[in-house]
Amino acid sequence: MSLESTGILLVSFEVIQSIAPLIVFFTLFQILFLKLPLSQLIRLYTGLAFTAFGMILFLHGVNNGFLPAGTQIGEFFGESKKGFLIPVGFVLGLLATLAEPSVRVLCYQVEESSNGYIRSNLMLYTLSFAVAILAAISMAKIIYRIPFLYIIVPGYLFVLILLWLCDKDFVGIAFDAGGAVTGPMAVSFLMSMAVGVATAYEGADPVADGFGLIAMIALAPIIFVMLLGVYIRFNGGQKNVQ
Amino acid sequence: MMRDVNETFREVIQAIFPLTLAVVLLLLVFVGIGLDDLISFLMATVLTVIGMTFFLTGVKMSMLPIGEAIGADLPKHNSLAFIAVVAFLLSFFVAIAEPNVNVLINMIDSALQGSINNNLLIISIAFGVGLLMAISILRIVFGTPIKYLFAASYSIILLLSFFVPTDYLAIAFDSGSVTTGAMIVPVIMGLGVGMASVLQDRSELDGFGLIGLASIGPILSLMLLGVLSS
Repeated sequence: MSLESTGILLVSFEVIQSIAPLIVFFTLFQILFLKLPLSQLIRLYTGLAFTAFGMILFLHGVNNGFLPAGTQIGEFFGESKKGFLIPVGFVLGLLATLAEPSVRVLCYQVEESSNGYIRSNLMLYTLSFAVAILAAISMAKIIYRIPFLYIIVPGYLFVLILLWLCDKDFVGIAFDAGGAVTGPMAVSFLMSMAVGVATAYEGADPVADGFGLIAMIALAPIIFVMLLGVYIRFNGGQKNVQ
Repeated sequence: MMRDVNETFREVIQAIFPLTLAVVLLLLVFVGIGLDDLISFLMATVLTVIGMTFFLTGVKMSMLPIGEAIGADLPKHNSLAFIAVVAFLLSFFVAIAEPNVNVLINMIDSALQGSINNNLLIISIAFGVGLLMAISILRIVFGTPIKYLFAASYSIILLLSFFVPTDYLAIAFDSGSVTTGAMIVPVIMGLGVGMASVLQDRSELDGFGLIGLASIGPILSLMLLGVLSS
């Protein structure tokens, strides 16, 4: 029990330390330039208090729940059941993306930008599938010790090429989409799992092999939305231009 | 406000439930944990759900309006330097507050056993976000096509990746994606929307791409940190 309470105290301290500079900055800006009315200010500061309080509970919960669970699961599979890692990575990537609220927002955004040409549901499923594939590849990367450079350089080169072929409305959406799949759950759980695998797997290096997963799954929607943009530019063009 | 909380709560449950189920199955079937550990995992998950609900509600109430208010105020000062400095500072401080960054730093710390200073990492990440945000806000003012910014920064990243020590490489890329979490996204969106609403001649779509640009910042700054430290 005492360990539990020091844990939450430590997290509270960390959170207050990390959010205080932002609050001070906003307050100064408010006093000097914004001069927002009191009613609006009350709402803003209540929101900031909620944010800090929620962050404390969230981080404390994650530190005692998803993070150790991810590490434990990763270490277990890394040690004894390596063959399962690729399908497990696939399923977890799929679940994490399908459930992520900001991915749904992104899909609606694309439906709108394409004037309904790309249905949001179809996009949700294909996108989740794309992320799942990349999560599976990043498990394979740890097991077969594929250097991160061999994955990220071709990935980024591909993005650079697509950039010149893609419909220009889709460029911004595509890069923003990278941020949509890396929600707090995906980040805390998948990352701790990958690091767990790399720690337990003999011959793998926890730092060089364990990290990189989040960057790889963020690449999936970027490439995917740009491919849609290329398709729209060359095939859906008439519908868009009218 | 209660409706906001309810709606957020539903979203959080929707996001966490499938993953929790999968984790419980994996823990029970494969890892074979005891009942005590399972209960403590579930208790922690309940805390996570409550925390995330409060966090996201708070973010909706505060971060988006703060971003919008500051974004709409910026062009009134008629000074590019002022716009750039404020955009830099705001995103710098938001990046420091981002909980995802906290999780990443803790993971790096436990994997590296403290061989890189945590505060140095956080400040480099925040510096990268701030710098790229200042550049991208100026882009909105000048109306430079976003394509060129992405092409230039991706080319620099590609070049640098051949010189960065392997320990830093994966961490640098991860930190880029991690930074664009629940906290910074609404601020950046608000900033973009606020600016665009005042500079009326720009199309609404100019606000897009800011988040993607923000995630490039930490990649570059951590890569530089890696090159310098080797």
